[in-house]
Amino acid sequence: MSSDKKEHQLVLNRRTFLKAAGLGIAGVAVGKFPFESFTLDEAMAAAAKAGETAIPTICAMCGPAANCGVYAFTKNGRFTKVAGMKESPVNAGGICPKGQAAPQWVYSPERLKYPLKRVGKKGEGKFQQITWNEAIAIIADTLKRQKEKYGPESLGMLSPARRTYSEYLNRFLIAHGSPNYGHSGICAMQLSFGFHYTVGDWPRAVDYANSDLVLIWGKQPIYSAPAQDGARAYINAKARGAKLIAIKPSMEPDVGLADLWVPIRPGTDAALALAMLHVVVNENLIDKPFVEQWCYGYDQLKEHVQKYPPAWAEKITGIPLNRIVEIARLFATTKRAGIDLGNGVEHVPSSNDAIRAVAILIAITGHLDRPGGNIFGAASKMPRPKSVNMQERYTQAWVDKLVFPEFPKAFQPFAEGTSSAYYGLFNSVLTEKPYPIRAIIAPGSQALVSNRGGKRVVEALKKLDFYVVADVARTADMPYADIVIPLATPYEIDHPFEVRGNWIMARNKVIEPLADYKSIFEFFCDLGVKMGYGADFWGGSMTASMNDQLKPLGMTIDELRKQPTGIKYEMIPKKYETYETVFNRKSPRISKAPFLPQGKVAIYNTSFKEAGYTPLPEWREPPESITGTPELTKKYPLILSDYHTSNVYTASWQRNVPYLREIEPYPALHIHPDTASERGIKNGDWIRVESPHGWMKVKAELYPGIRPDTVMMLHGWWQGCKELGFEDFPLLDGGANVNIMYSVDAQKAFDPVVTAMSSQTLVQVSKA
Amino acid sequence: MSTQYGFSFSKDKCTQCFGCEVACKNWRDGELGVRWRRVYKIWAGRYPDVKLASASVSCMHCTDPVCVKACPVQAIQKREDGIVVGDSNKCIGCKACEKECPFGAPQFGATGKMQKCDMCMNEVDLAKESPPCVETCPTKALQLAKLETKEKQVIEREIQKLIDATLRTG
Repeated sequence: MSSDKKEHQLVLNRRTFLKAAGLGIAGVAVGKFPFESFTLDEAMAAAAKAGETAIPTICAMCGPAANCGVYAFTKNGRFTKVAGMKESPVNAGGICPKGQAAPQWVYSPERLKYPLKRVGKKGEGKFQQITWNEAIAIIADTLKRQKEKYGPESLGMLSPARRTYSEYLNRFLIAHGSPNYGHSGICAMQLSFGFHYTVGDWPRAVDYANSDLVLIWGKQPIYSAPAQDGARAYINAKARGAKLIAIKPSMEPDVGLADLWVPIRPGTDAALALAMLHVVVNENLIDKPFVEQWCYGYDQLKEHVQKYPPAWAEKITGIPLNRIVEIARLFATTKRAGIDLGNGVEHVPSSNDAIRAVAILIAITGHLDRPGGNIFGAASKMPRPKSVNMQERYTQAWVDKLVFPEFPKAFQPFAEGTSSAYYGLFNSVLTEKPYPIRAIIAPGSQALVSNRGGKRVVEALKKLDFYVVADVARTADMPYADIVIPLATPYEIDHPFEVRGNWIMARNKVIEPLADYKSIFEFFCDLGVKMGYGADFWGGSMTASMNDQLKPLGMTIDELRKQPTGIKYEMIPKKYETYETVFNRKSPRISKAPFLPQGKVAIYNTSFKEAGYTPLPEWREPPESITGTPELTKKYPLILSDYHTSNVYTASWQRNVPYLREIEPYPALHIHPDTASERGIKNGDWIRVESPHGWMKVKAELYPGIRPDTVMMLHGWWQGCKELGFEDFPLLDGGANVNIMYSVDAQKAFDPVVTAMSSQTLVQVSKA
Repeated sequence: MSTQYGFSFSKDKCTQCFGCEVACKNWRDGELGVRWRRVYKIWAGRYPDVKLASASVSCMHCTDPVCVKACPVQAIQKREDGIVVGDSNKCIGCKACEKECPFGAPQFGATGKMQKCDMCMNEVDLAKESPPCVETCPTKALQLAKLETKEKQVIEREIQKLIDATLRTG
């Protein structure tokens, strides 16, 4: 009963507030039209009317994965515009600005047209044009030579945001003999790891359709895929009257739609989660039968969390004690409630413990795999296409060769294969410990702007023996490349097929390639063949690759392509409380030992303990913070963190797309109006942002919805936009690259278990 | 009762993705610097009781358009179906319409002639299709509708309130 009352109060507060703010507008949607988006027939008809052609394909403008169905329109062989595909279960006809702006991305003057070979000094940017075959030959010769001299593990690969081609990178490494897939500890895998080793799977999906309360925590459910099901689920839950509570440092549009905003200091999520555990444990707000039957180590937790009372967390998180208690109680006592935990918790040195603490909170309060809670994913009747990865070849000796394990060796390989930390590859180049990486391939990844510690990356790139950049457009790192491989955009190729949930569709070629280049898939096929790994690369044929992968579905790529909008398989009805199966799931480690040794939720984690890590979640300060390094706050009084993606840009790309750049033309630091006025800063002023590690010159955006002790900006700024007359920004000090601002101190800045990288520091802000 | 075409907008569904704005530009080959449709970020209140809302606004094709009255050469007309259209042959580029319009609809690009949203009346069959800005909206916050005068006036007033709030907060 008490919980119902609490929920009521929250809603009431919001309504009263809305009235007071004079924003009580209700949209008047009347006379709904029958045609809201394009089906195949409608797209064809619209194209015919305009003298154009409509080609069904899959959008490629965000990630991870590329899954919105689109109709791409062409006129006289030129890609002109995009419409959403009604038949696609992913976007159901909608499409976001990035998807709409695809033609400008494809035709950008920044596109790379020819393979290049470096002729000047590293960093100078002097190149000579060579042919595709010459480029492949140079790379193959170098890698063969290095393999013989230093061993195959001397090759590292930089992981892009998860793409369909990610598995091809792993396949190449496996064929070559290197475990060093360099994965950046900032996105998805840290969440997946923490959840898998605590509850046996990653219940990333909140059962939005049935939930009465969702905590959106360190997550942006809108910007990274606004046309996809996640954003629709959020809006629909709100329309249904579910309470939405957003826990993050600044107010973005999703927070604007929520019932309550809990502004938390960046990087302090673990402290909040531990204090919430303190509340539910001490007030006995747990699901006792579930804890007794399905949890291991509750008694140890009970004792352990006494160190973390809400009053302690208030000082660290900046969230008032009462609010911490209130949301802990509300979550624990609302039957249908879930936590939508996002990438924010993967950008902290306390990442693994924050994730574990939240997983434990979900479990002990009875919200795991129950209606409205955090559910284990629903499956469809689609047989799984054959994996491109070749994980069956991993051995312990292979794991032992990792240069800088992303996850401890005892937990390798994990979901995507064996991996080293992305920054660890660069670290090994500089320290030569345990051995130096000699060659790095960067396919669709720009370490200088997307990885912490740009200054160190530059030093490593200067020292590195051989660097290959493969991309569709100029990248920040390109001046340091020995070979540059130009790539076709996904609009210029007819592969691969894409799978998302119960939907599978063949990619169709929209236009002929603009120059004599190939796709990233063909690059690895060609390189594989040249290296002598042809048997593992389907003799260099992507058609053969796709046919091989499609065998379990009993079809060929030609047959799949005959279904212009793909195939939707029937969903298997969701069963809740699948603990018996999930809690006994085997891990992908060499030993194949189960994720949960006791077949129960690992509150007290014996796997971590055996590997030398803390069995229970603990608190760890960011390298610089108000409570961790108070001595720094005199010179640097504000907390700096960053956003990973925005409504118009995906991570560190797309600044060159004019229709998108017009909307967000400048790198803008979100700063509270009071914080700005104390410094004489006005909206739009150029400002200097200085941390102990570097400084930036960016614009101030006076932002009423941010903690006054915190400033934030979008990461990945470097690129100009020729059409709009914007020059590039400097890559290091004095530019707009937020990644140079953070500590990369190995002892403080990285999570000791999952190598997550800190994106919090302290700064001072002044007029430039 | 007579009805006319109009846009309806639900701020409770808008995720501020800007899909409508870019769809408009892409489908109509929009000039850089000219924005027929704009998405506004609207702040209210003070930290921590702050609120953020959105509004997607183009020409509202007003029931009683002030731009029509303001134009000294009668280059802007309101059609019977409600659509407000400009005639660039007649337009003298004096910007009187821009000065009067509360929605920021009239835009001036390289030609110096007024240009704005025409609801894509020549591109799509409004009797059974919607313009690209509406088609692309992932949450259907933006819709095209046939509205009665009173309904349309309510929408105009609400959008104006939202825009005024934006102007106040900068």
